Amino acid sequence: MPTTITETPADVVILGVGYMSGVIAAELSDPLLNNGKAYNVVAITKGPYWDYVNDFSTTKYDEWGVGLGRKYDSPLPLQSTTIRNTPYQFALPVRRYTMPIQYHALGHGVGGAAQHYGGTMGRQGPWGYQMLSQTNTRYPGTIDTINPHNDLQDWPLQYYQYEPYYVQWENAHGLCGNYNGSTDNPGSDSSGYPWMSQNYRLPPHPLTPAAQLFQSTVQSAPFNYHPFPHVNALASQPYVNQYGVPVNPCVYDGYCGGLCDYACETGAKANAAYRTIPAAMKNGNFTLVVNSFIFRLDTDPTSGLVTAARYYDPQGNVHIQQGKVFFNGMWGYNMIRIMLLSGVGAPYVWKSDPTMVSGTVGRGMTNGYSPYKGTNVSGTLSNIGGNAYPAGNAGGGSVDIYDLMDDNFDHKNLGFIGGSQIGVGGYPGGGPGNITFAGGVSSASMGGTFKATQKDKYLQTKTVLSSTPFAPDLPTTDNYVDLDPHYTDIYGDPLARLTYDWTPNMYVGATYLANKVKDIFTAMGASNVTVSNTVLPGAVHNDWWGHHLRGGCRIGTDPTWSVWDKWNQCWSPTVKTPFNIFGAGEITNTSGDTVPSGTHVAGPQSYRAAEGIKQYLGLMTPGLVP
Amino acid sequence: MPALRLSDKLKPMDLPQIQSRIPRPEELVVLSKPLLDATIIIGKALMDCKNKWAIGGDVAEVISGVNVQPNHIAILSTKDGCDEVARKLVKYQVEPPHVVERELDREASVDLKLHKVWIRSYMSRFDVEGSVLDVHGNLQIKVGGWDWGDPLDFDPDYVYVLGVKMPIVPLKMKSELYSGLGWTDRAIKIHEAVMRSRHMFG
Repeated sequence: MPTTITETPADVVILGVGYMSGVIAAELSDPLLNNGKAYNVVAITKGPYWDYVNDFSTTKYDEWGVGLGRKYDSPLPLQSTTIRNTPYQFALPVRRYTMPIQYHALGHGVGGAAQHYGGTMGRQGPWGYQMLSQTNTRYPGTIDTINPHNDLQDWPLQYYQYEPYYVQWENAHGLCGNYNGSTDNPGSDSSGYPWMSQNYRLPPHPLTPAAQLFQSTVQSAPFNYHPFPHVNALASQPYVNQYGVPVNPCVYDGYCGGLCDYACETGAKANAAYRTIPAAMKNGNFTLVVNSFIFRLDTDPTSGLVTAARYYDPQGNVHIQQGKVFFNGMWGYNMIRIMLLSGVGAPYVWKSDPTMVSGTVGRGMTNGYSPYKGTNVSGTLSNIGGNAYPAGNAGGGSVDIYDLMDDNFDHKNLGFIGGSQIGVGGYPGGGPGNITFAGGVSSASMGGTFKATQKDKYLQTKTVLSSTPFAPDLPTTDNYVDLDPHYTDIYGDPLARLTYDWTPNMYVGATYLANKVKDIFTAMGASNVTVSNTVLPGAVHNDWWGHHLRGGCRIGTDPTWSVWDKWNQCWSPTVKTPFNIFGAGEITNTSGDTVPSGTHVAGPQSYRAAEGIKQYLGLMTPGLVP
Repeated sequence: MPALRLSDKLKPMDLPQIQSRIPRPEELVVLSKPLLDATIIIGKALMDCKNKWAIGGDVAEVISGVNVQPNHIAILSTKDGCDEVARKLVKYQVEPPHVVERELDREASVDLKLHKVWIRSYMSRFDVEGSVLDVHGNLQIKVGGWDWGDPLDFDPDYVYVLGVKMPIVPLKMKSELYSGLGWTDRAIKIHEAVMRSRHMFG
């Protein structure tokens, strides 16, 4: 019969063990990083510990099990999320990890979704931190027209204030790349964008022929853009990070990014399990609790502080883990959901009148990734083919430009803000792709056409260029997360419910950007350069839960619209403010342009939060870190 | 909104689990912070060395993923290299370069017999922020009654230690050396690390 077990209290309790949590674990558990203080840290995660040799090396080459069975992923029968487009609809749960609803699966266990992500990275430039104020200054009076029911806000800190934390994050995870736009880059403009105080720690992956052609094309007139090798988190060389953890390099096996679901059998793909958690585990002050499902946070009714995390072990026993400080590092919806389930922070309450909305937890949700039904540009390079890196990894080999994003071009009268990072020439890197379209058979996924495609994938005679650029999704008061009143998880608690639809800024920007990319593809010498039909705002609707969720649990300058403050410390009041819980993740990003990785943008927040937690633990009485 | 009430009922679930074992701390390979900091200082100071040099010893193995516990840093180089390193790291120098010959703590196991092992090198010792660094020029090994071997020579591998491109003595050479000495436990540790870094089919 299951029982209730009270665990030994800890100084720091970490909820979920993904990217951000790994940093907290490594930074807080090491006395050498805390003036000799040895904090006792406990981290709890619902999935297993993954060993890249034992768990991946012999089992990852299993397209069916990985791509459809989703054997490395968060099991939907355990919990899912319901989705709808408007508050007036009945939300339905996601029941399968298949196209088109939800082909990007979530992580499960130590390392989280980064166990099998593409490893794509890229800093967010200064504009991304001040989107609202910059837009109001340069294009006054336009934001409410561009984004009805606008809820866009500035970050609590500016880019230069996050820059040192970017450095720490990049050191820890061994990012590969080269100065993208700094003044040390011969291809950069004189202002340097975004400015970096140090280069990436590892060199970029070798560029593909298509990437090199893109680079030379956009550097030349009439474009005069500033290309740089794609930044990614798959180690290009053997590496040792600042915690002394050695990292194996990428072996370019090709089973990497397809379906965003192939794990790495050498640990080259950066995630907490192989960069930060080993350092925490080594120093003896860290306890890792796996296969354990956190279902509630206890709070003290008098002080409002969080006192314990409750979780189920696999046998259904309830464990109570008390702590002084809590770090919410759970992914996306789960970060929001545990707070809503527990009454921590003020839940967002939607009203049709945007001036009447209230609360913060669940508010400001945006999607950082392609809507798929956006405007696509394609073309064919018939002069680049043979031996053009048929395997490779997920993110390497390509070249990017930032020139068509942020406010790096004049947006006057364009009807949108921001833009898109454009990248060309990445490795195929996705495994055979036999079942990519297993959700529905078409002429492209079987028969002669399919075979011809496979031949070109491995014995290339041509290179197909494809890009679906779009401007950033912007927060509105109508897109949010709350608790579903109908559907529950396996334990009987409400699922998270996503109310969300694409925002006009994305599609208006997509049309403009697609034609810019068309010009580039044409200048590269591609044939059959085609821009798909323009998608008008409102013509298509969201039908997936996304995976680069941004906002929804934002940091900010004001507790009336943000959950966390400049230290990623909770300041969202219910009756009392639970000062002793911190949080970081892509879901806490205040806003951002369509840089490829909200993960990279979230990363500095984890170091900021670690610093905040250290300061909080030194306070005489609970309160906000000054 | 108040928190949802906790159910009074316990949940007798028995969910299928992936049974990955969490490694014990002693199974994890991590270079200690003092040695890491010293290694980086050394790497930066020797970045433009004219002579061949490489990190050797146990530190080279740890930063390549081998599970050993180093207590100092060793560099292998030539005699000229040892002098050059001594000039570049002079502020850390404890012992100037001189020829040293000594018996190792561990004996070789060859043909089912134990043999004493000696090393001879043109050596200099340093204290880099509290970590001992021994620089060996023209290191030679002698086993039992055999003649001294040729000075160790190699083409280094490279590891980026926090962005500093660091030459290291190749694991392949160390593995062959350990095998020749009959130190199979050390050779196995290297083999395990190499296997963890490889494609399963390669």
